[in-house]
Amino acid sequence: MQSPIVVGAVIYDPKVTVIWNIIRDFFEENRCPMDVRFYVNYELMVDALIKNELEVAWNSPLAWLDAQKRSGGTCRALAMRDTDRDRISHYVVRKNGSIKSLADLRGKTVAFGAKDSPQATLIPMEWLHQAGLSVGTDCQARRFDVKVGLHGDHVGGELDAFQCLASGEADASVMVDLNWDRWSQDGTISPQEFIVLGSTGRFDHCNFSVKQDFPAEREKQFLDALFSMSYDNPKHREMMDLEGLTKWEPGRTSGYDLLSRSVDRLHFFEGAMK
Amino acid sequence: MASKSNTDEATRWSVRVSQTGKDTANVFVRKHQFTVGAAAQFDEESRQVSGLEYVLGVVGAELVNGITSLARARRVEIDHAEAVIQGELNDPLAYLGVVGATGHAGIERITAKVYLSSLEDEATIRPLWDEILERSPLVRTLRPAIRFELNLKVSP
Repeated sequence: MQSPIVVGAVIYDPKVTVIWNIIRDFFEENRCPMDVRFYVNYELMVDALIKNELEVAWNSPLAWLDAQKRSGGTCRALAMRDTDRDRISHYVVRKNGSIKSLADLRGKTVAFGAKDSPQATLIPMEWLHQAGLSVGTDCQARRFDVKVGLHGDHVGGELDAFQCLASGEADASVMVDLNWDRWSQDGTISPQEFIVLGSTGRFDHCNFSVKQDFPAEREKQFLDALFSMSYDNPKHREMMDLEGLTKWEPGRTSGYDLLSRSVDRLHFFEGAMK
Repeated sequence: MASKSNTDEATRWSVRVSQTGKDTANVFVRKHQFTVGAAAQFDEESRQVSGLEYVLGVVGAELVNGITSLARARRVEIDHAEAVIQGELNDPLAYLGVVGATGHAGIERITAKVYLSSLEDEATIRPLWDEILERSPLVRTLRPAIRFELNLKVSP
């Protein structure tokens, strides 16, 4: 009997294990036995991937870069959700405020998420830098380091950042487009009071990562099962809704450039970002 | 007068538990049986009652059954008793075996709110409440071991 493929995932809430149990059962039913190991943070999971304690890691974009750095650039991104592709983060400001362009943020305070959040801190900081605004010099940062280690999976930091803007303690806040959409719809954000000032360039989010030597036959087995999920199948749709996707796509690594530049410039992996 | 062995038998309770499926065990007790799911459950749609939910249920039942039973014995009128019990694990991720979890899987806190409907004043009810807290086996066992917050509310 073939040994199960060991897949790692970081969880911030016990309820997340329910989704993974559904996915595991799906893989079992599709002739791909899977064991899922859970980790409290991405650093531990990347450790496990590098030490071959697991074969496939559901990596955040920052964990992907970490794994690449620690493997000498030899990891591969097997697959990602359609919703992981081409994300953007928004700079949100008061609709009737004085800030009308990114340049107006000079001398102002911008509220960011956790220091290890690609979407709410690292990429937006890089985007500002490319726009000629250096955080800490040209504008001040208010950072909300909620659950550091989860790479912004926990929306708390982004929400706290927005509430900082709403309370008048910051002039702008940063959030990923999906949260802007969700919070505008559920009443958390009033579109009458707040608008999107500008947005970052496009970036990609999570992927299933493996090390270079992940066997081809196991990779095929994993991907065959994964890509057999169809949003047209009502049984699959519930699972896919829980995971927030409508289609699994092949992994690509071209969407991590902004983040890569940010971590290099900020010397993130060297611990320079306090 | 009962023999020693008879007395032991009467004060020692026994159940038989048989695993019957995925995260499911049947508990057989005298002529009854009930089903228990996983120790703790995070899926709202789970078909089984978890072990932790049974424990919270027992705590609540001890309190509402206990105080109404004692009130009957003391001829204090209580029309209705209801309890809301909430429990938390110290670290649910430890229970799930998550690598890096720093806590433990034990119960960290139980909060019990008991609502009594009675025309009696609280000064009459309160001694019954204090007594039943001492006489409820599970409550008496858990109170010294974990954070156990108890709240009694009496209203007509």
